[in-house]
This record gives sequence, structure tokens and C-alpha cells, in this order.
Amino acid sequence: MARRQARGRALQGLDTTDFGRFRTYAYGDARPEVPVASVTVPDGPPGDAAKGRALFVSRARGPCTGCHLVPGADVWPAGNVGPDLSTVGDRGLTDGYLYQLVFDPRPIFPKTVMPPWGATGVLTPGEVRDVVAYLQTLKGPRPAETDPERDPATRRRPVGFGDNLDATNNPGVLLADQAEAEWSTKGPADRACADCHVGPPELAMKGVAARYPRHVASQGRVMSVEDWLTVHGPETTGAAYLAESEANLRMTVLIKMASNGLPVAIDTTSPEGRAALARGRASFERRVGQRNHACADCHTPDGGANHFLGGRMLADVREGLTRHFPTWRTSQSELWDLRKRFQWCMTPLGANMLAADAVEYAELELYLTSFDVGKPMSVPGIRH
Amino acid sequence: MADDVGRIRIRVPSSIKAGDVVRVRALVIHPMERIERDAQGKIVQKAYRYINQVTVTYLGRTILTLDTTQSVSENPSFTFAFRATDPGPLTITFLDTTGGKYAGLADIKLA
Repeated sequence: MARRQARGRALQGLDTTDFGRFRTYAYGDARPEVPVASVTVPDGPPGDAAKGRALFVSRARGPCTGCHLVPGADVWPAGNVGPDLSTVGDRGLTDGYLYQLVFDPRPIFPKTVMPPWGATGVLTPGEVRDVVAYLQTLKGPRPAETDPERDPATRRRPVGFGDNLDATNNPGVLLADQAEAEWSTKGPADRACADCHVGPPELAMKGVAARYPRHVASQGRVMSVEDWLTVHGPETTGAAYLAESEANLRMTVLIKMASNGLPVAIDTTSPEGRAALARGRASFERRVGQRNHACADCHTPDGGANHFLGGRMLADVREGLTRHFPTWRTSQSELWDLRKRFQWCMTPLGANMLAADAVEYAELELYLTSFDVGKPMSVPGIRH
Repeated sequence: MADDVGRIRIRVPSSIKAGDVVRVRALVIHPMERIERDAQGKIVQKAYRYINQVTVTYLGRTILTLDTTQSVSENPSFTFAFRATDPGPLTITFLDTTGGKYAGLADIKLA
């Protein structure tokens, strides 16, 4: 109960902004991405560099410092997804060019990962002009760096949190203990998992999770282990395994742990698998939300992968991002399944989230998991 | 889960040579109840279930006794080091305030 109370407190003050105006991952959402805006500097008073700097570092807006480094001890943590702007004022770029870049960079760089700050209304035209005025003040020589951690180019790379399968190191492992008791407990329909799946879960479920997400013919859709439990629980033992509930998470961990060490072996070759994979890939590359970002912007080597976004190191999709989920998050003291991870990603995208068991997420998970094929499962993971 | 209370996991390095100083980590499933207060802020008087002593024996000899005098989390883990001289049993015993006694055994093997 103490844990639940702590979680309630953690949710207080959470951003409840409605991004309904912007495109989501829903397949039914046919809206186009934010239209490209070619603009010129509007008439009006000149930009205010001091206001521009405040906007540049404001966490409530960008922050621009999430991707770009500028001078100042208060700029921390800065990222390096975008160019270092410490001396951008020396480059002799016109105000009009910089204004267009900040307002909507796509007319200049069609494949950029930078959001169109003006076109989506995050910054007003006057604010864009302030930011441009600030950028023009950034002239060399570059001040000497005193703190190597401030500069993302010299910052230490994050290290892991030790053995994720060691219960004394990863509290997530303990959740499987609880599920193990539930495995042989009869549900409301007077049946238990163990009645059909004979033997202890580590044997009965061995290798099962390595095949998920997969296309489930009876449901006509791709499902992860979590999704399948929401259906399979009620139809057999009668126990509800609601998506993202603790019961669902626990049982998922137990089932996935039975495949630990086995290579991920999802189906990507059947007609259903191939079609779902293609849709998942399209989601991965679909630009959504106020930031007009795609997953690919941050998680491919052509985008931000292996760079710092603020203080966070962006993961590379080629490494495989799913075989350690559900994963214990040391920063949250909680076990998260991949869907919660997806939903959390929606906040920096400025997009409304979908339901945890949405088919869009399932097929995106399938696409991400295709990079994990052949690699050993290791659940629960442990990450920041 | 109440059923699990007292379940102990002990982690020792996979390869130990005679004379090595070995770091051991032991985790015990235990609620480690905290003092509760009623609506008036008064402490609810009851027997709180809390591990207050840990004892480690190696080769039948007690090598460590510790009291928990600071607040310790639910499902706590304790880490200590000792010098492994001979193969044999390492026993870790947890005593709690309600009379619970939970013991875990690790068999120390030398490479």
C-alpha cells in the first residue's frame, strides 16, 4: 500500500496537456503531419537576445538545449543530437535563414529531426525572433570548458546497473515470485494456469515468450505476452489481467523469465507477420505529435541514436530495444512493460497516447523486436 | 506475498579461491513494517514485524552479527565480506521482532 501511495504522489503535477490537435499513432488517424511552412521574418521590433536565451534553455518549451550545446554553466544537461551552437553567431548566417530554421527547418533540411517550433505553435513568431537574436550573439572564441560533464561530447557514457537477473540487484525479479504463487492458484473459473500448462512455469512456458509478439489468429491481430494475457486469463482461469495492471505485469515477467537465455524467435515471414511488420515499420517512421517526431528521429544512427538528448543517451534500435522488457526503472522504482515505455515516449513527442493494448503499439513492438531476433532474452531488465 | 516472507537469496561469486576475500549479498523477502500513525498522529501500538538481527556463520563459527539500528527497506539486502579459507556451509540467519527466524544456506565451494 505504501508503494501505491508513493505512486499517487508521483502522479501529482503530471502534465495533462491535450495534444489532440496533433497526429497520433492510431491507424485511424488520417491527419497529415504538420504542414511545411516557408516564412520570412515578420515586421516588428527587433528580437530580444536575453528573452531568446531564456526560451532556449526553458524546459517548458523545448528545451533547445536538449539537442544543442550553448555556453553557460546553467546549461545542463545539454544534448548533442543537433549541432553545437556555441559559436553560431560567427557563421554569418542571415536572420532570415535562422528564423526559417527555428520556425520550420524542413524547407532547408527536408530530412531534419528538428521539430518545426514555429509551425506547430510551440514558439510564437516574436519568440522565434528572440531566439534568433540570441543565436546571433553567440560569437567565439568558445569559452574554455571547465566541466567535462557539461559538454555532451566529453561527458561520460552511462554504465549499466549490474546483473539484471540477480534478485539481490534487480527488485523486478521478485515480482515473478508473486506470480509463481498465482500460477497454481485457482481463479474465479475454478481453474489455474497450472491445470493446463503442466509443470512449473519455467518448464511449461519455456521458449513461449521468445515467439511474442505474434499474430494470434483467434484475435485477428498481433499481440504481445501482455496483450494475450488480457484475453487468455478471462477465458481460462477467469482472472482478469488488465493491461498494465500489476497482475498482468507480474505474470508477464514470470512467463518471459522462462525464456531467458533463449534467442528471440518471432514470426516475420508469414503473410500476417510480414504485413504487421510493415505497419510497425511505418509507425516507427511516422511523424506524430506537436514535435512532428518519428521514433526513427531519436533511435536510428542517422538520427539521434547514441547521442545525448539532455542527460539521456538515446538507444539505437539496431541494438534491439525490447528483449529486456518488462524492465526495472531505477529512476521510477517501478517495473515497466514496453507499452508504458511507449506511452511515456508520447510526452516528448507531444502526442496523445494510445491504450496500452492498442494494436498500433503491438505492431510497433513487433517491428522493434525484429532487431532482437536471435539475441538472448533477459527479463526483467534494469535501466535508468 | 505473505507466503514468501523469509525466502532468502544469497549471491556468492561463481569462482572462489582459498584465501579470497568474498563479497556476499543476501536478500530476504520481508515486509519490514514501518511505524504507523493514526489520524491524530499517535503511534499505533502493535508488534511491528521488522528484522532486527542478522547472524552469519561459516564452518559452524559465527563470523558476523549485526543489528539494524537504522531504517531498512522492505525486502532488504545485506552485503558483507569474509575470507573463504575452506569449503563448507555459510548460513545467514535473520531474526525479526515478532519471533520470526529465517535462515538461508550457501555452500562455499573452492575452485
